[in-house]
Amino acid sequence: MKRISKYWALAFCMALFTLSAVGQKGFSGPDRAALADFQKRIAAYSKLRARIAGGFQKLPLKATPEQIEAHKSALQKALMASRRNARRGDILTPRAAAEIQRIISTGYVGEDRKRLRETVFEAENKTVQVRANAAYPEASELLEMPPSLLLALPKLPKELRWRFVVDRLLLIDSDALLIIDYMTKALP
Amino acid sequence: MMKRKTNSLFAWIIAVALFGTFSADALSAQSDGSAVASAASGLRVTLPKKDGSLKMLVFGDSGRGSKEQYELGKVMADYHQVFPYDTALLTGDNIYGTDTAADMKLKFEDVYRPLLDSGVKFYASLGNHDAPTQRFYQHFNMNGKEYYRLEKNNVAFYALNSTYLDKTQLDWMVSEIAKDTNRWKIAFFHHPPFSSGGRHGSDKDVKAMIHPVFVKHGVDVVFTGHDHFYERVKPQDGIHYFVAGAGGKIRKGDLKDRSPLTATGFDADLSFMLIEFTEDEMHFQVISRSGATVDSGMIRRKPN
Repeated sequence: MKRISKYWALAFCMALFTLSAVGQKGFSGPDRAALADFQKRIAAYSKLRARIAGGFQKLPLKATPEQIEAHKSALQKALMASRRNARRGDILTPRAAAEIQRIISTGYVGEDRKRLRETVFEAENKTVQVRANAAYPEASELLEMPPSLLLALPKLPKELRWRFVVDRLLLIDSDALLIIDYMTKALP
Repeated sequence: MMKRKTNSLFAWIIAVALFGTFSADALSAQSDGSAVASAASGLRVTLPKKDGSLKMLVFGDSGRGSKEQYELGKVMADYHQVFPYDTALLTGDNIYGTDTAADMKLKFEDVYRPLLDSGVKFYASLGNHDAPTQRFYQHFNMNGKEYYRLEKNNVAFYALNSTYLDKTQLDWMVSEIAKDTNRWKIAFFHHPPFSSGGRHGSDKDVKAMIHPVFVKHGVDVVFTGHDHFYERVKPQDGIHYFVAGAGGKIRKGDLKDRSPLTATGFDADLSFMLIEFTEDEMHFQVISRSGATVDSGMIRRKPN
C-alpha cells in the first residue's frame, strides 16, 4: 500500500511538470492573450497618431514634393516628441514577440525558410540603425514583405507596416517613416 | 546580350536587314500615313497607330537621375513625336534614394519634362525603393492610393503594391477583378511572378498569391519590373507577363541563358515599351536607348 502511494505521488509530480511545461512553451497553440494585448497596444498607438495627425492639414491627393516632405517631416517629429520615452518592447512585448517568432518559424520551414532568409538578406537596408522611436532612413530600401507572411502575422491598421531589417522585425509608421518598435531574432 | 543562340545570330542579322528593307514599304501602304511620319523622323514604329486606339508607354526601375536615364528619356520623347501616346505606366522603383523636391525634379520631372509638357499622364506603382508617401505625388496620379484601378478605352489597369500585398489589398483586387467587364484586364506592379533574372528572378510568393487570381478572372497581360532588363515571358496559363525594369540602370548579362520562361529578352542596354490597344489586339514594341527596336509583336485577347 505504501509502495502504491509512492507511485501515485511520482505520477502526480510528473503530470504537474508536464502541464507546467505545456503552459510555458505554448504547446496548447497560439498565445491569444499575447496577441490581444499586442492589438490593444497597437490601438493605443493609432489613437495617439490620429490625434496628432488631426492637427495637421491633410495632404492633397495631388501634392507637390514640397508638401509631401513637409507633411512627413512634421508628422515624424510630432510623433517622436509625443513618444519620447518609448522603449523597445513597449508594443512588441517579450510575450508578443515570442508569439510572433512562433508564427514565423511555424510557417517557414525548409525551402520557404531558405527563400525568406534570402529575400531579407539581399535587401539594401542592412546599415539601418534600428531603434524604437527613430526615423527609418528614407534612402533605404523598404523590403518586400512576403504576402504569405503578411497573412500569418497579426493584422495592422493601414498606417502601420511590418518590415524586416536583417533578422529584426520592425513596426513602422508608413507615412511618418518612423520605427515605432521592433523585435530581434525574428527570422527562423 | 540578346538571348539568341550564337549560331542563330547571323540569321537574326539577315532577318533584321530584310525587315528594314521591306517593312517601310509595307507600312507605307497603310492608309493613315503613319509610316510616312515615322520615316520622316528616322524612327520606325511597328505599331498600327490607329485613330482612337489607346497608346501607352511602359517602363520601370528608372528613378536614378543618371545620364543613361536622361538619354532614354530623350528617346521616349522622340518616339512620342511619331507615336503620340498619352499614358505611361511605371512598374516601380520610380525614385531611388531620397525623394526631396530636388530629387523628384532630378530623377523624374526633368527627365520626362517634354512628355509632361505634352500632357502624357504617368500612373505609378510602387517598388521596394519607393516611399509610400509618393502615392500623393501629383505626377504619379495615384490619388493617395497605394493600389488602384484605372480604366481607359475599355481596358482596365490594376496598379498593385507588390511590396506589401496584405489581405486588405488582396481582397480588394479579387473583388474588383471579379466584377470587371472591360475588354482587357491588365495588371502592373513591381515584383515579377515570372522572371529569368539572376539577381531576383520569379517572386514565388507573389506568384502563389496572385497568379491563380489572374488565371481565374481572366487577366490578359501583366507588366512588372524589379529585374533590370526587358523580358517577354512565354505565356503562363494564357497570361502574358513582361518584365520592363530597364528604365534607369541595366543589369547586363543578368537574364539567364536558356531560361525556359523566356520568349525573348534584352539585357544589353536600357529600354522601354510602347503599347497600343486596338479592340482585340495589344501591339507592343520595345525600344532601346539607341532607338533600336529589340522586340515587337501582337497579343490577341482571350475570348471571354
